[in-house]
Amino acid sequence: MARILLVEDNEMNRDMLSRRLARRGHEVEMAVDGPEGVVKAAAGGYDLVLMDMSLPEIDGWEATRQIRAAESGTPVPIIALTAHAMAGDREKALEAGCNDYDTKPVDLDRLLGKIQALLGAAQ
Amino acid sequence: MSAPRRRPARKAAPAPRPNGHADHREGALLRLTTAIAAARDEGAIYRSMVEGLHDEAIGYNFLGVFLLDPATGDRVLQASVGWDRIPHGMRVHPGEGLSERALQDGRLHYAPDVRRADHYVPSLASGSEVDVPLQADGETIGVLVVESAEPDAFGEKDFEILSAAANQAAIAIGRMRLLAAERRRADEQKALLDTMADLSGELELPKVLQAVLARAVTLLGVTGGEVAIFDEARQELVVVASEHIGKTSTGTRLALGEGAMGTVAQSLEPLIIPSYREWLGRSGKYADIQVHSVMAAPLLIGRRLVGAIATVHADPSRVFGAEDLRLLNLFAPQAAIAIENARLFTAERDRAGEQKALLETLADLSGELELPKVLQAVLSRAVTLLGVTGGEVAIFDEARQELVVVASEQIGKDSTGTRLKPGEGAMGAVALTLQPLIIPSYEEWLGRSGKYADVQVHSVMVAPLLIGGRLVGAIALLHSDPARVFGADDLRRLNLFAPQAAIAIENAQLYTSAQRERQYFRAVVEHSPVAIVTLDLEGVIVSCNPAFERLFGYRLEEAVGRNLDALINTRATLAEAQAYTAQAGQQTARGIGRRQRKDGSLLDVELAGVPVIVDGERVGILALYHDVTDLLSARRDAEEANSAKSRFLASMSHELRTPLNAIIGYSELIEEEARDLGADALAPDVLKVRTAGKHLLSLINDILDLSKIEAGRMELHLETFELRAVLDEVLTTAEPLARKNGNRLEIRCPEPAGTLRADLVKLRQMLLNLLSNACKFTRDGAVTLTVERAVEEGREWVRFQVADTGIGMTAEQMGRLFEAFAQAEASTASRYGGTGLGLAITRRLCQLMGGDVAVASEAGQGSTFTIRLPAEVHPPAAAAAQH
Repeated sequence: MARILLVEDNEMNRDMLSRRLARRGHEVEMAVDGPEGVVKAAAGGYDLVLMDMSLPEIDGWEATRQIRAAESGTPVPIIALTAHAMAGDREKALEAGCNDYDTKPVDLDRLLGKIQALLGAAQ
Repeated sequence: MSAPRRRPARKAAPAPRPNGHADHREGALLRLTTAIAAARDEGAIYRSMVEGLHDEAIGYNFLGVFLLDPATGDRVLQASVGWDRIPHGMRVHPGEGLSERALQDGRLHYAPDVRRADHYVPSLASGSEVDVPLQADGETIGVLVVESAEPDAFGEKDFEILSAAANQAAIAIGRMRLLAAERRRADEQKALLDTMADLSGELELPKVLQAVLARAVTLLGVTGGEVAIFDEARQELVVVASEHIGKTSTGTRLALGEGAMGTVAQSLEPLIIPSYREWLGRSGKYADIQVHSVMAAPLLIGRRLVGAIATVHADPSRVFGAEDLRLLNLFAPQAAIAIENARLFTAERDRAGEQKALLETLADLSGELELPKVLQAVLSRAVTLLGVTGGEVAIFDEARQELVVVASEQIGKDSTGTRLKPGEGAMGAVALTLQPLIIPSYEEWLGRSGKYADVQVHSVMVAPLLIGGRLVGAIALLHSDPARVFGADDLRRLNLFAPQAAIAIENAQLYTSAQRERQYFRAVVEHSPVAIVTLDLEGVIVSCNPAFERLFGYRLEEAVGRNLDALINTRATLAEAQAYTAQAGQQTARGIGRRQRKDGSLLDVELAGVPVIVDGERVGILALYHDVTDLLSARRDAEEANSAKSRFLASMSHELRTPLNAIIGYSELIEEEARDLGADALAPDVLKVRTAGKHLLSLINDILDLSKIEAGRMELHLETFELRAVLDEVLTTAEPLARKNGNRLEIRCPEPAGTLRADLVKLRQMLLNLLSNACKFTRDGAVTLTVERAVEEGREWVRFQVADTGIGMTAEQMGRLFEAFAQAEASTASRYGGTGLGLAITRRLCQLMGGDVAVASEAGQGSTFTIRLPAEVHPPAAAAAQH
């Protein structure tokens, strides 16, 4: 069981994904845009961040960079979520400081696998 | 430099590169050729050559022609330009100068830097020199020396121009020497003729013989007498002088053995007939004259009969005795010598006449190119010279393999236009044998043609007209006088004309075919809807056709002399246009570009340029322009529309996916929650929602993929990976699909499979697409994935073959298989599922990676899909650049 911060601006996606993750036993906190995500992540206490990349104001890449810049202790694992399954997105996400990358629409089992892998590595 | 102490007249002259425009240069070369051809003596040829090459359009600065003096081996300067201080007639001795080499081996020599050349006599401080041998009749007679003050000033093109000029000069010299020899012979003949004419008072045969006869009659105290000459051709005596025999007997002809003179002509012994009236051998031709006794003697040169002399007594009291015979024998040799001299004179005069006719023919041939006129002239002269009734000349029509009569003279009808097959008639006969033919009696000749049934022909002589061994025509001469026949001498004389006529035909036909070709091409160019313009090698317009005038708005006279690229380009397109022109100077150039009309408006053109090559030499460029403004704007519109469509689809798909994600996600959530709440009755409906949503999602994903590819926005993520790992992964994914329809799934792959550099994700997508199709359309069968590597077209390729034992397809179904939304039948989609876009995407992804996909199938026999990819896929741009 993990504490997960879900940064997602689309209300339906946020609601659906958080509920499905919760059903699998995770504790999900939510942020509705980049700045909120950065603030909450900086406050700490999360095992993992799910970061939507296309956010208003500051996008997911920028938010990730800011989170990484503000971090002092062990870096929190961040999984980038993007609807643009374009070549280069993965590299761009990893470059910004994400640990992994998954495409939307979310295939829950696949995402859970990636979450599990990162949490397992962290432990 | 081949001459010592020579200094250039011009200091620091520019390098002798051809510096004029190509049409000016062509003009200059034409003038040079014409001047050489028109030169009246050898000196004029040499002057024409150096002056012509010096023409500023050709641009050689230092030129000289040296001729070999066979007596000393010196080279003697005949003409020069640029070497004003070098005297005409200057001699270069053996062992001096560079030009000797060309003289020795008959080849062109080039010294790119004279300072490094042996034997160079330094007259220019530096520079380069070309030495071109001049040859006539296969012998090197001299050298054309061309110099520049610049080193490396000459190139292949210069060698061609200079060799061509030397060749033309050589031909002209050869012709001139031949003509000079002919002229000399003719001049000699003419001198002889004139001398003889002066002596004609004494030499004119009948007068001489009359005088001889008169003296003999007086001396012998006889009544009268006659002298006859022997006509060798007809073997008859002809009386040419007659004195007091009671009638004018000149012109009387006597056969050998006929009458008194005929008798002595046969016996070659003198004869005295005491009583002519009782003599049995008397000729009826003298029945009406008073003759009592006759004395006759043959006229002999050695033992050869040339005539006969006879004296008569009308007085019955007078008889001839031995003393009379002795006296007659004093006169006979005089008469004989006079006859022989006259014969020789006539023969000489005839020969001189022949030479003159030949010369006139030669002059005609150079002056006239109109074939029928030339041939008519040749024929007229042959008819006159040979003293025949008439004749014909025919040319050989090679296309129809027939002789066509084109000149006809005095044969009793106009036979021009008559066609004769080889073997038909006299001319047809020589066309087969290629040998001259004499037909003594044409009426009896079996080979005669019905086409000449209405012509009075007694005898015929025909010669083939040949160029090398090739038949170009035939010439025939005929006698309608039964008394005349053809002999060896006639044939000899006919053979003087035959080659001239043959050459005339050959020249004229070459000229005519060239002219016809020119007319044909001119007509094509004039009426072509495509704008055609010809340029010189510098890109200057030489001519253009009406379509060009219409397309660009420039009239011919405005366009000629202007640089084409400068004329029809804007600043934006000039460089690109010049690149095309440069390319077209070497090889075919094609392209599409934008050009500007005279009125400033722009148009899109498809253009093609090709080098114009004459006799192996590039002389200019032919450029074609085709207006594609409408076509291009239509295409741009279509591309724009297509691109807009792709963009619309891409954004639509993206916008559609967001709510669809929610639909699928929530339906999964509901499924799970319904299970938790025990509301299992809801499960089938929710499953339908989720399944329909997923299908819609895959449709949208496929459309997005396709539109990305079509918009050129599908990027390749190339990486090098182990083939085996991908295959295993794909197999694992496809296994459940195979099992669902009871299919066996097999893989055949060499070990080790090696690596592939490609877009891994897209390869996986393509293979899964083919495998899932195979599994879908096959029930209780086998699906086999075979992987092979092969080297083709110089690269390594990997082939993925997916074969199934399923329902297969008809040829018709296969036709549209790889097109979007073309699942073989509309019903198939509903029966077997799928979006119908998979194969279209697979094909486009293959092509994007430089490969392709193909299918082989038969209805009921299963299908085999084969993907072929380069083992090293290059990014599309780089792949395009390789081709």
